[in-house]
Amino acid sequence: MKPPVCVLRTDGTNCDLETAWAFEKCGGAPQLVHVNELRTGSRKLADFGLLVIPGGFSYGDDVHSGKILAVELTSFLREALAGFVSRGRPVLGICNGFQVLVRTGLLPYARIGEIAATLMANDSGRFECRWVRMRVEGESVFTRGLKGRTVTFQAAHGEGKFYAPPETLADIEASGQVAFRYVDRSGAPTAAYPDNPNGSLNAIAGLTDPSGLILGLMPHPERFVETTQHPNWRRGLEGEPDGLALFRNAIRYAREL
Amino acid sequence: MPLQEIRTAIKPELVDPAGEEVLYEIRSSLGIQSVQRVRTARVFRFEGITPEEAKFLAENLLWEGIFQDYALNRPLITDAAHLLEVAYKPGVMNPEAASLVKAARDLGLAHVQAADSSWEYAFYGTVTAAEVDLITRRLLVNATVQHVVTEKPQTLRLSGPPRPTVTIPLGSMDDRQLMELSRDRLFLSLEEMRLIQDYFRRLGRDPTDCEVEILAQTWSEHCVHKTFKAWLIVDGQKKMPLLKRLQEATREIAHPLVRSAFVDNSGVFAFYDGWAVCGKVETHNSPSAIEPYGGAATGSGGVFRDVMGTGQGARVLASTDIFCFAPPDTPWTDIPPGCLHPHYLLRRVVAGVRDYGNRMGIPTNNGSVHFHPDFRAKPTVIVGAYGILPEDRCRKGTPREGDLVVVIGGRTGRDGIHGATFSSAAMTERTIDVHAQAVQIGHPIEEKRMSDAILAARDRGLIRAITDCGAGGFASAVGEMGAATGALIALDRAPLKYSGLAPWEILLSESQERMVAAVAPEHLDEFMEICRGLNVEATVLGRFTGDRRFRATYNGETVMDLEMSFLHEGLPQRVLQATWNSPVHPEPELAPPAEPEEWAEVYGRVMAHLNVCSREPIIRMYDHGVQGTNALPPLGGVDLDAPNDAAVLTPLPGRPYALVIAHGLNPVLNLIDPYQGGLWAAAEAVANAVAVGADPAEIALIDNFIWPVPDEERLGALDRAVDACVDFSRALRMPFISGKDSLSSTYQTADGLTIRIPPVLCISAFGRLPDVRRTVSADFKHPGSVLVLVGQHNPERMGGSVYYDLHGFLGSRLPETDLTVLPAVLAAVHRAIRRGDVVACHDLSEGGLAVAVAEMAFGGGYGARLTLPDIRPDFFLFNETAGCFVVEMAAGRDPAEVFAGVPYQLIGETTAAPNIAASAGERQLFEIPVGFLKDRWQRPLKEVFGG
Repeated sequence: MKPPVCVLRTDGTNCDLETAWAFEKCGGAPQLVHVNELRTGSRKLADFGLLVIPGGFSYGDDVHSGKILAVELTSFLREALAGFVSRGRPVLGICNGFQVLVRTGLLPYARIGEIAATLMANDSGRFECRWVRMRVEGESVFTRGLKGRTVTFQAAHGEGKFYAPPETLADIEASGQVAFRYVDRSGAPTAAYPDNPNGSLNAIAGLTDPSGLILGLMPHPERFVETTQHPNWRRGLEGEPDGLALFRNAIRYAREL
Repeated sequence: MPLQEIRTAIKPELVDPAGEEVLYEIRSSLGIQSVQRVRTARVFRFEGITPEEAKFLAENLLWEGIFQDYALNRPLITDAAHLLEVAYKPGVMNPEAASLVKAARDLGLAHVQAADSSWEYAFYGTVTAAEVDLITRRLLVNATVQHVVTEKPQTLRLSGPPRPTVTIPLGSMDDRQLMELSRDRLFLSLEEMRLIQDYFRRLGRDPTDCEVEILAQTWSEHCVHKTFKAWLIVDGQKKMPLLKRLQEATREIAHPLVRSAFVDNSGVFAFYDGWAVCGKVETHNSPSAIEPYGGAATGSGGVFRDVMGTGQGARVLASTDIFCFAPPDTPWTDIPPGCLHPHYLLRRVVAGVRDYGNRMGIPTNNGSVHFHPDFRAKPTVIVGAYGILPEDRCRKGTPREGDLVVVIGGRTGRDGIHGATFSSAAMTERTIDVHAQAVQIGHPIEEKRMSDAILAARDRGLIRAITDCGAGGFASAVGEMGAATGALIALDRAPLKYSGLAPWEILLSESQERMVAAVAPEHLDEFMEICRGLNVEATVLGRFTGDRRFRATYNGETVMDLEMSFLHEGLPQRVLQATWNSPVHPEPELAPPAEPEEWAEVYGRVMAHLNVCSREPIIRMYDHGVQGTNALPPLGGVDLDAPNDAAVLTPLPGRPYALVIAHGLNPVLNLIDPYQGGLWAAAEAVANAVAVGADPAEIALIDNFIWPVPDEERLGALDRAVDACVDFSRALRMPFISGKDSLSSTYQTADGLTIRIPPVLCISAFGRLPDVRRTVSADFKHPGSVLVLVGQHNPERMGGSVYYDLHGFLGSRLPETDLTVLPAVLAAVHRAIRRGDVVACHDLSEGGLAVAVAEMAFGGGYGARLTLPDIRPDFFLFNETAGCFVVEMAAGRDPAEVFAGVPYQLIGETTAAPNIAASAGERQLFEIPVGFLKDRWQRPLKEVFGG
């Protein structure tokens, strides 16, 4: 059976179609679900095996990126989300989706309503679109088998600087919740622009909750599930597109649930 | 209850990127060194809540304690030398306000009445009041839409007394009175005013303000293109109207892939698997000159809606941006009074295009910037959009009698009406007389959800016809849709941003993010349900009738009743005189560089020329990967910073079908000869597309003429430019399927100086390809490859080149485009790429072969050794003939076989060593490190944009 994937959208979501395609390509059954449908109850989160919050500018990223949607989710869908997570179903947030997960409290600690870290405006002060290298670390259902590999995805955001107070940062590191770290050409984590495109502390590009079921990252794996999406595919690329494994892992996990 | 004020700011010990950005601007563009630091704060105001509730909102919505501080109803930054608050003027809709209200209600504060937000800037250091004033005027406040807040407002709600419909006593007016009326608000000629007067005299009544206004709007140059539709007498010879020439050529070519040309909001071309693609390119020069951010943003928004309103609705796939400015380092003393500085214009226009496209999720992946001092009075801002739609819903819809007129999207305000402005003092009064704003900020999220609703409704077959509310608002949208049927609308039903609009203002408002759909009554409920589910406001304004009249009511009273035939056909076709005299620009006598050092110097200066240098700082700010369709980005190669010629998209996931998008323009050539300049622009557009692999047999074209106000001479130039397009179109059998003219690029200074902005002809090209894998990029792929120059190269014709410009000359001998040779060249290059004979390809444009080779080397990380023919080497290297290509052959392929029958020459080979070397005969001219050229090439715009 193809696991049903809830691709959550709202006003200003704009990476929904390519995110749905990435799951479809990997054997999932993605459905585009508007947050209004969950609020009215015409569709239910519990009917899905996986939740993804795609990229975009939800509600214009007004006040803070992802904030208005995060407030909406914590106000109206708190129980549904808590139930979804407690039943062990994976949640993925990409770019704006990552911002939403952090602002709901689902990341880094899966505690809804408790904001423990943030994604701030890039140090450069501007939106930038560029391909970045990242090292895969930690344990999550999405990155199984990828640990230690370097992957390349496109980053496209204006507010992607991961920031947390020192004690939180130390705790996230100690519990192995960092999933993706920006690295330079030599493969070493870096604070230097542009390899670290936004000034993220500890070069953190993505992280999981302690269980490894919730993953958020700023760069876009769904923009590299076809060879021709890479800017230099004509120069010869080896292996499959870097984004595929993430979606395949998620579908495989959801299928086993 | 007083307004509640919450301020938030990034904690003082953390970096404040917005403050840093302002500081950079203060130092780099104003040269003020006394400011040590800039901090920013957000100010949020709410109406209708208590201080306790405001505290709750701060802690649950506005403030994040991890990196911010906040203050409730008191100042937050108190230690700065100067502090000032900048807000949108009342009446300019701040898109954030709706989100604030929504989130407050989601948090349980259902009674919140209104909200607003603004920015505070805090300056540290020994900055003087005069410096703060300069910073404020030049960098922080655009007085068209923003103001400095000096007093806390007492209310955020806008309202005004309703205004009545007024009857205009036209029947009794003499010619002088008619012209007075026209000059004040209608901008029609005396002849046109008399036509209107006669019409109402025949009816035996005077018109209402609605009727006069809609006629003025519908008959304006902007809407009806009087010049393009006029017969011309060119130097005594009668010629067909300009628009008709282009349309006739398209009709005669009868291209099998054209689905609709010049009839819908964009031109439609067949794609694959039951899909069609469409394209539209627009200009937004005047609004961008006044308020570059909002002007450029709403320009993008408008052209996206043109695509969305094609057939029964299309999805926007891509955005293009093409700008012309004066050089960013133009001295302030050269800027005409009342005009904005190009450094500011460039940055703000880019920001406007960036924010609209990125937020709507439309990749901006093709564009260009051109610089010439004569753009100092007015920039040219061209924005394009391309979309995809099912072939069986790609024809322009026609409303039927009884269909409903449904307006969807944003609300109607006094936007874009006759430019009166709002006094900020009015905000402190309870009842406010709301005035107009010529320029809006744009609300891409509104447009995105409207797009989502249109596509959902289209897929369920609920839309009979749809169009954008652009210039002329409801008047033009409903007037055009109902031209064949008639329409009756109730203006009082239109949802308004604030009360107090007169009926004629509702009719003509140009508020953004609105569209009009014709929906059959039996589909209305389903249509409305879709809109509700996506937070899109939709309202039935009226219905399409069968009486061929355009009628409007306001609270039951008829305020407009016109025959559609008079509205649309009442204006007689004009006959205009045109003349053409070739201008004379002296040809320079230059000696070619002699020593290697001189070569390096000249080559470096060509690379650093503003019309050649890297556009990376601009490109990086656009999202070119959203939608996951990009198969050839604007920048590629080993360091991802080398330019490609065109965008290649794969709009259908998992399928290999490609859409190629390109464009060409070179305004300076039109100063010498608009005919050859026109051919150059078209050849450049198509060569860009073919250089990545496009099939010249499957390309459609779009024209954009941005011309000075056409006196006889300017019209003569326009006539030649249109002839160039028509000749090109016929010779290459490439149809024009959409186009636009904007004939207002003249600026009169107060002291009587007339600045005519250089005439701009921008040609856009888009086409389809069955297999994306048969495309190439521009970066060199291997060392030791054979390099070939393909095409009819005219090295001795250097007029209008960057090389001449560096020596202060324009010249007069333009590189001519040979229309008898070009088709075979394009076909040969396409065939070579399709067969895999070619691994990299780049066309010649500004800076010529030298620039093309350098850019290919940047991308490859390799060098090149060039062997020049027995021609002046500087002319050979820097000539800008369009329709020529530098090609890197695949190993083992024989150029003689691949390019048999077309002009080609071997010019050297790629090398592992990253140098560009050139020799002529036995003599080595130069050997220059690629890194040196790249540094020169990257520097100029980095300095403008920082970072």
